[in-house]
Amino acid sequence: MEKLLDVKDLAVSFRTYFGEIEAVRGISFHVNKGETVAIVGESGCGKSVTSNSLMQLLQMPPAYYKRGKILFQGENIIKKSEKEMQDIRGNKISMIFQDPMASLNPTMKVGKQIIEGIVKRQGLGKNKARKKAIEMLESVSVPQSNKRIGQYPHELSIGMCQRVMIAIAMISNPKLLIADEPTTALDVTVQAQILDIMKDIQKKSQTSIILITHDLGIVADMSDRIIVMYAGKFMEEGNVMEVFNNPMHPYTGKLLGSVPGLNINKFEPLHSIEGSPPDLYKPPTGCPFFDRCDEAMYICKDNVPERTYHSDTHYSCCWLNHPMAKDAAEGGEI
Amino acid sequence: MSKPLISVKNLKKYFNVGWRKTLKAVDGINFDIYPGETFGLVGESGCGKSTAGRTIIGLYEPTDGTTTFNGKNIYDLSRNEMQKIRKDIQMIFQDPYTSLNPRIPVQDIVAEPLDIHNIYSNPNQRRKRVIELLNLVGLGEEHTNRFPHEFSGGQRQRIGIARALALNPKFIICDEPISALDVSIQAQVINLLKNLQKGMGLTYLFISHDLSMVRYISERIGVMYSGHIVELADSEDLYADPIHPYTQALLSAIPIPDPKKQRDRYRIILKGDILSPINPKESCRFESRCPYVLDICGRKEPGFKKVKNNHFVACHRANEIIDGTLNQSRNPY
Repeated sequence: MEKLLDVKDLAVSFRTYFGEIEAVRGISFHVNKGETVAIVGESGCGKSVTSNSLMQLLQMPPAYYKRGKILFQGENIIKKSEKEMQDIRGNKISMIFQDPMASLNPTMKVGKQIIEGIVKRQGLGKNKARKKAIEMLESVSVPQSNKRIGQYPHELSIGMCQRVMIAIAMISNPKLLIADEPTTALDVTVQAQILDIMKDIQKKSQTSIILITHDLGIVADMSDRIIVMYAGKFMEEGNVMEVFNNPMHPYTGKLLGSVPGLNINKFEPLHSIEGSPPDLYKPPTGCPFFDRCDEAMYICKDNVPERTYHSDTHYSCCWLNHPMAKDAAEGGEI
Repeated sequence: MSKPLISVKNLKKYFNVGWRKTLKAVDGINFDIYPGETFGLVGESGCGKSTAGRTIIGLYEPTDGTTTFNGKNIYDLSRNEMQKIRKDIQMIFQDPYTSLNPRIPVQDIVAEPLDIHNIYSNPNQRRKRVIELLNLVGLGEEHTNRFPHEFSGGQRQRIGIARALALNPKFIICDEPISALDVSIQAQVINLLKNLQKGMGLTYLFISHDLSMVRYISERIGVMYSGHIVELADSEDLYADPIHPYTQALLSAIPIPDPKKQRDRYRIILKGDILSPINPKESCRFESRCPYVLDICGRKEPGFKKVKNNHFVACHRANEIIDGTLNQSRNPY
């Protein structure tokens, strides 16, 4: 399969008065054409920094790329100038943000916001652009779209605003759509509508989606592959079935266990993860999950676990899964 | 069953939002909560569940209706009597970042209810009680002199819980206590609330939009929609056999964290948006989105009927839905 996006050993840090925050600490992944990759993790684990850095949306300084490459269709995005980025943003890579009310311009009619990008880039005429905006709104199931384009964001409900955001993101047929918590601000019934629209659009236009979320239910619904992120690092990656049915990293297992699923026993306590995520001012030298892990060993404290592959697509970063771990359990030494 | 601890009858809370505009946030809700149980109140944002909680405790003056606690209508009480009752009814708030005063240390936050009610005159006893409370929620003596900003979200919520427990209340209103927290921390707080309930015999009103958590923690659940309770049942019964079309849609919209089941299951996707609660007309509030809507739904508000043991529904077509004459799958969850 064709690799649309290939991220290699990306590290992003922020320089602050208190020292350096290492928000993303060396991540590598790729996105193929037409697939949905979900990045899950708790707040503060670096999901949003990852997604913003893919489009150079971080404010620099304080942020800076410490190392790594972001190859989009073979070209390194980090090396691009601001001018070249403007051609990529919205055109080849688009983004949907968490809070649609805050990301739309309140002083501009939604129709104008939708066509702003293509008018600038493709020089479309007024009528053509208007027609396109109406078409786009229809494709994201906004009723009475010819009336809606003349309205301001405050006249629309939050679900409608998120549809407008999707319309803006999709109008120039991007190759890659980054959805950063697209439904967190929405109610469940509206969330179901929006997720359906995203699935529809992906089917029609073969867009790849990077879905950033903390909701494992949405991941189960939408994604082909899933990446579990914790304290700026990837802990596990695999096909959605592999990870849900057979989580190999203790953190993934516990994360799945802490959501009450279908067959919950009310009389058993939920599997909570004690403690809280590490401070990224002073990131841990070894496995970042070390101090919350039940199965932590001596080696976990100071040595970063390598990737262990369980299948072609499924890997985890945990010393327990290291091929030599079994020997160690039987009295051998690592 | 025993006598209810708290009994809400026809509670209404309207807000004036402009010239001849009334926002009917809570429009006549009824339910009883029995000692030692957890009653869940679920619904989408704007449905009035938080307003209901705040009105019950008396933070809002009710427009109409009564809340009976220990046999007394708490809205009729004098200031003095009300203050006594407040010892028994406490509240845990949604946002642990804004519900703790950033300028006072943790020990004074936790001891504030004790100071207001003049429980301890001896500072040593007061400090001992604060430490006892902090231990109860998994914090320790070393935290007493710190300020809220030094704590993470989960720890702050624990401080909020310790404050609510200070006066040994009987009844606690939990207003979305976990929605500002991460998944792994949510489980910690839920386990803590459950253990405290077991240990201290607490009764909870648990307000949340997280349906799977509500199912886990509550014995009975009321589903709210636009100021009304549309369905009320034992929690297992509600999830196994939802009757109101809104409940069915709501349950089918929760994504299940299991890819195979999630992708195979039957789902109801609702069309349209919630009717505005400002000057609503006399109709079923779900009329605009309901897949089974009839003429009568636009003319008459459906009454709250008992359809089964402990199972109440407000829907004109409830009987047809139970008989299965409407072509549909009844258990989408």
